[in-house]
Amino acid sequence: MRQQERGPSRIRQIRRQAFINGARDGVVPFIAIGTWGFVIGIAMVKSGLTESMATLMTLMVYAGSAQLTALPLIASSAPLWLIFAAGMVVNIRFVMFGAALHPFFRELSWRRRLLLGVFSSDITFVLFMSRYSDARRIGTSAQLWYFFGVAIPGWAVWNVFSLVGIFMGGLVPPEWSLEFGAILALMAVILPLIKSRPMVMCLIAAGLTAWVAQPLPLRLGLAVAVVAGVLAGIFSERLAVRARGVQ
Amino acid sequence: MTFAIDWYIVGAIVLLTLCSILTRCSYLLFGDRFPLSDSMRRAFRYAPVAALAGIVVPELLPWQPGVALVFDARPLAALAAIILYWRTGSTLAVIIGGMVAFWGFRYLLAVGI
Repeated sequence: MRQQERGPSRIRQIRRQAFINGARDGVVPFIAIGTWGFVIGIAMVKSGLTESMATLMTLMVYAGSAQLTALPLIASSAPLWLIFAAGMVVNIRFVMFGAALHPFFRELSWRRRLLLGVFSSDITFVLFMSRYSDARRIGTSAQLWYFFGVAIPGWAVWNVFSLVGIFMGGLVPPEWSLEFGAILALMAVILPLIKSRPMVMCLIAAGLTAWVAQPLPLRLGLAVAVVAGVLAGIFSERLAVRARGVQ
Repeated sequence: MTFAIDWYIVGAIVLLTLCSILTRCSYLLFGDRFPLSDSMRRAFRYAPVAALAGIVVPELLPWQPGVALVFDARPLAALAAIILYWRTGSTLAVIIGGMVAFWGFRYLLAVGI
């Protein structure tokens, strides 16, 4: 209610600023999203989907790793229930992300929450939680518009580059290994987040676990790695608190 | 070009769309019925780094049971990118410098140095 006293133009300004902040924080991750989209656009056509089916998949599914997982299954005519189950397993991290985001957006109408969910991605979660996980006030309009500032351009970048990959992917020589650019862009998202010892521990534990667990099917290794990283982070945080308590 | 609709593929796409919506929206829509403790919320601060590390590390050093470890230009380029970030603090240097390092190391490994 306090916000209304400040007048509608002030609110609009706060929203616009929050949206711009989100879009600005997103610039480097958008490079990752664009490269991934492009690579997956190529992969869809290469796996035998027609251009129209690949376009439909990009626009509707909006989940790169689920699409990558499903492609070999579709190519081998796997039963639909298996494709569905594989998609659910690969997407399990989104349930965790949703659980973390929920307190920020619980006051919104269900339609808006549905919209937020549909447009959310790994990057929106990473940027949003890095910025607001320690926020004292939760559910502000700046937080909502920051989320949109990351999510909406991210969605657009993903789909545009996927379509470019579908229709023009053949023009880029595969020897350039552009898919490695997507990995580097993800590294560029991680590195600034590593500021404390618990984060370092989380990184090491998750990385090692993911490396050891990579033969697991359906990218289950990723889910195990997230659990290991989170546990290592909490454990290291508790150790630090206890060490401080002793002194 | 054919215009026949392959209902198997349409079915797969619809089911995958359902996966996306179910996993992304379920907690946002029904989270009030499954409240989270504060310690759980604190734990989620580590999820982003853990998830990204879990995606990146297997891409850098892939291996399969029964097959020798693949060691190519990727881990070397990643190391170069980390050093670049440490020296410059620039995330763009990670991407551009890392890509250049990748092409360079790949060339060096190919010519056998």
